[in-house]
Amino acid sequence: MARKKRKRESAAAGAVDFNMTPMIDIVFNLLIFFILTSQFTQLEIEQVNLPVSFAAKPQQIGDFRNVVINLVDPDAPKCVVMGQQVDYRVQEGDNELSTMLKNYKESLGEGKPLNVILRADELVPYEAVASVMLGVARAQIEGWWITTEIREQDEILGG
Amino acid sequence: MPKSDPPKQPDKIQPPMTPMIDIVFQLLIFFLLIPSQSGEAYLTTNLPRTSGPVAGEQQKDIKRIKIELQVPEGNDKGVVIVLNESQNFGRNFEGLLAALQGLRERGLPPDHPVLISPWMSCRHKWVVRAFDMAVAARFTNVHFAVPYI
Repeated sequence: MARKKRKRESAAAGAVDFNMTPMIDIVFNLLIFFILTSQFTQLEIEQVNLPVSFAAKPQQIGDFRNVVINLVDPDAPKCVVMGQQVDYRVQEGDNELSTMLKNYKESLGEGKPLNVILRADELVPYEAVASVMLGVARAQIEGWWITTEIREQDEILGG
Repeated sequence: MPKSDPPKQPDKIQPPMTPMIDIVFQLLIFFLLIPSQSGEAYLTTNLPRTSGPVAGEQQKDIKRIKIELQVPEGNDKGVVIVLNESQNFGRNFEGLLAALQGLRERGLPPDHPVLISPWMSCRHKWVVRAFDMAVAARFTNVHFAVPYI
């Protein structure tokens, strides 16, 4: 009743009355859009045929910041991080991959742990995976995860 | 004679469509975006050490379980599993799982070190498969052999 009265009064005074509902709708839409797109750009997922696993867990990776390393093209493996092709070959001292990870970790600030998620094609030779592992280890990363596709145990062992 | 009012038509109920359409679009966007990540899962493991033992660190003399993944001649996409340099399972991962479970049942603790040592040309999927077997046998301390400089 009081609201109606106020509305009438404000209309009489020629005041502009904002309709808040569509504005809140749009704000929520934008919020969801930016949250989702920021996560997707961060993941930088490449199209790879992942190996299958039954012991892997479809869990959330915690509150760490994530860097996704894609190992694509089994015939001539390429390492793609944040949309950029990176040299991952083992060498004495840091390579491009470990330098990149170190710099990224430093940019996060002290005490901010970092996860590295490997998305390697199932047919990539182990040499490439091992080289990436060494690069990640040299950057002193806290979390190391291997991405797989989840399957039933019978499906894997039977097939 | 006063005219009687015509019978009142029942009021048409018009639910507000705008918020409903908003919600439908929100759900549509949500379900379009979410499936691209579903079906993926993660295995976590220890990263290789890049330095030797620190001064004063005690070296444990534990014989670790070694799973070697070889590549058969003439089939670079195949695998041969050798456990502790003695048991050859061919590409029978079920046999490897049974052997690892047997070791656990004979009293090896979950944190007993397991080393997966693939040949450099071994395919990633076999490495993950061997890792899967170690995890399925409830070993928690799994390492990978890496080239050393």
